[in-house]
Amino acid sequence: MKDVLSAAQDAIGEVLLGKSQAIKLALACILAKGHLLIEDLPGMGKTTLSQALARVLGMSYQRIQFTSDLLPGDILGTSVFDRNTAQFVFHPGPIFAELVLADEINRATPKSQSALLEAMEEGQVTVDGATRPLPDPFFVIATQNPVSQSGTFALPESQLDRFLMRLSLGYPSEAAEKSLLQGDARRVRLDAIRTVLGREQLCALQALVPQVTASDALIDYILRLVNHTRNSDACAWGLSPRASLGLLAAARAWALLEQRNYVIPEDVQAVLPAVVSHRLRATHDPAGHGGDSLARWLLSEVSPV
Amino acid sequence: MTALIPRNSLAWLLIAQLVVLVPHLPRLPWWIAVLWLGCALWRVQIQRMRWGYPGRLLRVGGLLLIGLAVYVSQGTLIGLDATVMVLLLLFMLKLLEMRSPRDALVVIYLGFFIVATAFLFDQGIPLALYQGFCTLILVAALVGLQQSPARNDPAAALRRAGVMVMQALPLMLVLFLFFPRLAPLWSVNVPGSSARTGLSESMAPADIANLAQSPELAFRVEFDGQVPSASTLYWRAMTLSRFDGRTWSYDQRLEQRTAPPPDTAGAALVYQVVAEPSGRNWLYSLSGSVSSTPQVNRLADDTLRALRPLSGTFAYTATAHSDALLQPEGLSVSERRRELQLPPSGDPRARAWARQLRAEYGSDAQLIQAVLAHFSEQPFYYTLQPSPLGQHANDEFLFDSRRGFCEHYAGAMAFVLRAAGIPARIVTGYQGGELNPRGGYLLVHQFDAHAWVEAWLPGTGWTAFDPTFQVAPTRIERGLEEAMREEGSFLAEAPLSGARYRGVSWLNSLRLSWDDLNYQWQRRVLNFRSEEQLALFRHWLGTADWQRIGVIVLALVFTLMAVQAFFWLRPARRTGTPAQRAWQQLDRRLRPLGLGAQAGEGPRDWQQRIGCALPSQADLLAAFFDCFVAQQYAGGNADAALLRAHLKRLVRNLPRRRSAGLPVKRRLL
Amino acid sequence: MSEAIRERLRQWHRGWLRRRIPPAQQIRLDHRRIFIIPSKAGAGFLLLLAIMLVGAINYQNSLVYGLTFTLLSLFWVALHHTYRNLAGVQLRATGGRPVFAGEQAPLGLVLSSSRREHQALRLSWPQAGLHTVDVPAGGEQALTLYYPTNHRGWLILERLRVETRFPLGWFQAWSLVDLDWQVLVYPRPVSRPLPRGSAPEGSEHDQDQALVEGVDDFQGLRAYQPGDSRRRLDWRAWSRGQGLHSKIFAEPQQQSLWLDLTSAVGRDLEERLGVMTGWVLALENARRAYGLSLPGQRIEPALGPAHREQCLRALALYGLEPQR
Repeated sequence: MKDVLSAAQDAIGEVLLGKSQAIKLALACILAKGHLLIEDLPGMGKTTLSQALARVLGMSYQRIQFTSDLLPGDILGTSVFDRNTAQFVFHPGPIFAELVLADEINRATPKSQSALLEAMEEGQVTVDGATRPLPDPFFVIATQNPVSQSGTFALPESQLDRFLMRLSLGYPSEAAEKSLLQGDARRVRLDAIRTVLGREQLCALQALVPQVTASDALIDYILRLVNHTRNSDACAWGLSPRASLGLLAAARAWALLEQRNYVIPEDVQAVLPAVVSHRLRATHDPAGHGGDSLARWLLSEVSPV
Repeated sequence: MTALIPRNSLAWLLIAQLVVLVPHLPRLPWWIAVLWLGCALWRVQIQRMRWGYPGRLLRVGGLLLIGLAVYVSQGTLIGLDATVMVLLLLFMLKLLEMRSPRDALVVIYLGFFIVATAFLFDQGIPLALYQGFCTLILVAALVGLQQSPARNDPAAALRRAGVMVMQALPLMLVLFLFFPRLAPLWSVNVPGSSARTGLSESMAPADIANLAQSPELAFRVEFDGQVPSASTLYWRAMTLSRFDGRTWSYDQRLEQRTAPPPDTAGAALVYQVVAEPSGRNWLYSLSGSVSSTPQVNRLADDTLRALRPLSGTFAYTATAHSDALLQPEGLSVSERRRELQLPPSGDPRARAWARQLRAEYGSDAQLIQAVLAHFSEQPFYYTLQPSPLGQHANDEFLFDSRRGFCEHYAGAMAFVLRAAGIPARIVTGYQGGELNPRGGYLLVHQFDAHAWVEAWLPGTGWTAFDPTFQVAPTRIERGLEEAMREEGSFLAEAPLSGARYRGVSWLNSLRLSWDDLNYQWQRRVLNFRSEEQLALFRHWLGTADWQRIGVIVLALVFTLMAVQAFFWLRPARRTGTPAQRAWQQLDRRLRPLGLGAQAGEGPRDWQQRIGCALPSQADLLAAFFDCFVAQQYAGGNADAALLRAHLKRLVRNLPRRRSAGLPVKRRLL
Repeated sequence: MSEAIRERLRQWHRGWLRRRIPPAQQIRLDHRRIFIIPSKAGAGFLLLLAIMLVGAINYQNSLVYGLTFTLLSLFWVALHHTYRNLAGVQLRATGGRPVFAGEQAPLGLVLSSSRREHQALRLSWPQAGLHTVDVPAGGEQALTLYYPTNHRGWLILERLRVETRFPLGWFQAWSLVDLDWQVLVYPRPVSRPLPRGSAPEGSEHDQDQALVEGVDDFQGLRAYQPGDSRRRLDWRAWSRGQGLHSKIFAEPQQQSLWLDLTSAVGRDLEERLGVMTGWVLALENARRAYGLSLPGQRIEPALGPAHREQCLRALALYGLEPQR
């Protein structure tokens, strides 16, 4: 069963060349039942990654392009008056898919953003007083442009906390880009991807994650990490308990991807930058770009043993 | 220090004062207790901010009053008793002047000192235990003084004090055994040399009969080997040679002259005596004894004397030779005059009887036998309640009342012998003793006091005769209790004394066990002096040389300290789980190779990095780290021994020095 | 001469301490960081013991010997207890908030213990009062210490003396720790009238930027979004069948002010910085945007706590080292 995980990684790697670490993190994020935020410039393969993920995992896929005039109803769906039945009929919005790609989320107004994020958090949608559950494996990949770009509404910290991970794909390596240029178009490659993992298999794997052993020593390590951010002056604020829960879940998923049934400090270290960088801010850094370096600093400060 | 004394601490201080004062109270006037109550109440009221501190006038007046009170009650301002009393009063009055923690400290230190002074007056086991308790309370008061003021937990102070005192005991024992017992640096006056029950330096009729009412212990004696039968044990304390017509008394001039040891004929009997404090310096010995204890003299009349009065218990060893003769060579003219001295007049009937006997018997021995026969043949009666005697005491006793205690018989006999021209003297001391089967030693009580006669005979020297034996052989063979059974007068004035209930067997065995404990306490603890210490060293260390002992003791003390320090000062590094310690150990070992764990490095990353640098150790590395990961993270059982074994094998195979191929330290991340 | 030597010694001592107990946010007291000597009370006790020992020798009294030795052993035991009472204490600085010069800077401190209970720990600076705290076993004790401030900039603290004499007071064990508190001291505010308003440059072009959503001036219409206030709906347009629209209003932003060091008057730089500080506080109170202009540094006009902090920080550190 675990072989399928490496098969899935390989399949996505076919499309997104030279980004195996990001692919693995994205998979870990799905296994840990968390949502993913990708922050990158346009054209770096964000959409490709999400499409490939949807295909490999056999999930239904919807894409929402966020714009400044996007309304919450455009995401959640609206009730339309049907003249024939003389009743309001609910037309579900794009969010009712198993994998939702929320593209350029920071272009939308805060109102629309929060509509999406609340749905993400609660796993259900309330429109016109009726509560509708979202599909069970429900996974949101949101992408955002770097905040410094003009015409953007930065996500507030409280919203950022709802994403388990934030990734940044970055430019591909020279070799990867070369083979990208030489090979088939991305579209063709995407179509070639087969479903490796069924829905049931994914659910089973997700259920396996909490059973991965996390020893006392490891949990102490996570606590030390979290406490360090709370006590240190370098961080404007410390990590929330939601962050420590997320860190543990992500580390467990990572251990599963490493085909291990227990977590070691290296698992925590592998996922930590992705999990905490968007939740941390250096004290004297109003823009909040320093999360990555802060995460690396954190790892070097705290001894794993 | 302007801080106030915390309430907690004050409570402990007051308790400490009370317990420290209690053992002194019986020796002091009653108003001391009242004064303490007053001071304590005042101090409590000060703490409650009801009353103020006493003014300067009151304090100066109080000091003067103390001096006066001590002078009135003790008759002097110097001397140990007066000094202790002054200390006690200062100790109490300091309460009213105790403003800062520093004053409280002075009170506690005074308390320690007063605890020590109590031992100068009494050294029994109960007091020692009680003073241990006092020390504990004083330490608790010290702890209370240091606790943070907000803390209101008096029991915690006592607990801490208890723990600390227990921890102090091992070192205390070492110090007690090994600290050299020095001779006194200067002479000091000894407390309590005033009246105590016991023999006195003179003997009038009824003196010893009074003493026989006392159940107090006179001394204990332990024999090397078999305990001789009670009837042979005549413990000589002193000889009385002067007679003034009524009272026999001790000749002080004897004190000046020490005597050479007697000839050592016959079987030697070695015994150790532990004498109770008597306030006098005579000791108890069997006839013909010499002592090996340095502070003991042997006088010309064959008695032993301590150099100083017995203020505490005093132990000495003596050897008696059963067949030793005392002064067989003869008496000097002055001695002869002394031993024959009689008042010019008095007791005409006795003198006449002596003249008659002298005429009747040629040899002294026969004459003496005749006198003894007179006691056994005539209706003499041995009693603790003799009829009062008039001016001619010996006459009345010998020929009229014929009721008397041992001193009557001995006095009358010595008188008759002297009147007949035979040198004779009274010997006072004790006779017999009670065997404590548990400890195998004899208890000699005051009611064992006895008097008998020694007469000088040509050829045998001084020879003992006991007229009491002729009258009441049970007294000599079975003791006073048996002798007085009919009369019922044994310890009639001491109804609560344990010795009175020797018939109740469980009570008696309890009494004897307690006595045995006291005896061991006296012998092993109280009398642990220089000689005992050296004997102990010789026994345990095989040497009595101070240099070698010093080395041994230093080694012992340092070992003890090192052990304590190891447990108490364990460096912080040793904290943590066994896995963490193994990790740190490997880190220390690899650091010189430039392969130490880097900041934030996990086990597998580290393993890989070391493995790259030292490919030949890959297997051992894998073994250690697999074990480490399994125990720390994979939920395996923590088996420290296994981990250590892996670590040991790995460490042994690691290179000692950084070889050229090893990479220089590189930043992680 | 002697003053120079003393100063030299003090410096050497300070350097030695810095090497031995380097500044850190978190310090665990162990044998490397703890000093211990008998206190005056301990010396007095030894004197008492000496007197008692002489008494024991002179009176040949075994029990006085015994008592003396018990107390002497207790002295030795007390050494360990006092040491252990301090060893293992973990001190953690929990930051302090910035203050204005002349105020007492609050310094957060958490003492924690891993296993043992630590009693009666005294924390003190030469300039500040004494705190006595207990730390429960395995627990924490948080407290706030106050330290007087006089000069702006990063607060320079003496080493904190952590001392204990518990349990018997015969020994004092202490450590001098530098917990590396980062406390910024703002200049002492001086109250002066505000400078005459000078409009920010380029304000003509960015007229529309200075408008924020308000209630006064009608600005235009925009498509209705769920959540818009019903009172602002353009019902007339709706009745004309033009769909739902919301009316937008705006109010002009008050003119912002540039604060310049050259316009602040004072005897010396410190007072002028104090005047600037006073202005910042006054403008922040009045909800009026302001910018800061210092030689070599400019902060664009804005309003709000973050901006205020940025400005005060710039004033506090003007001409000083930016980091400690």
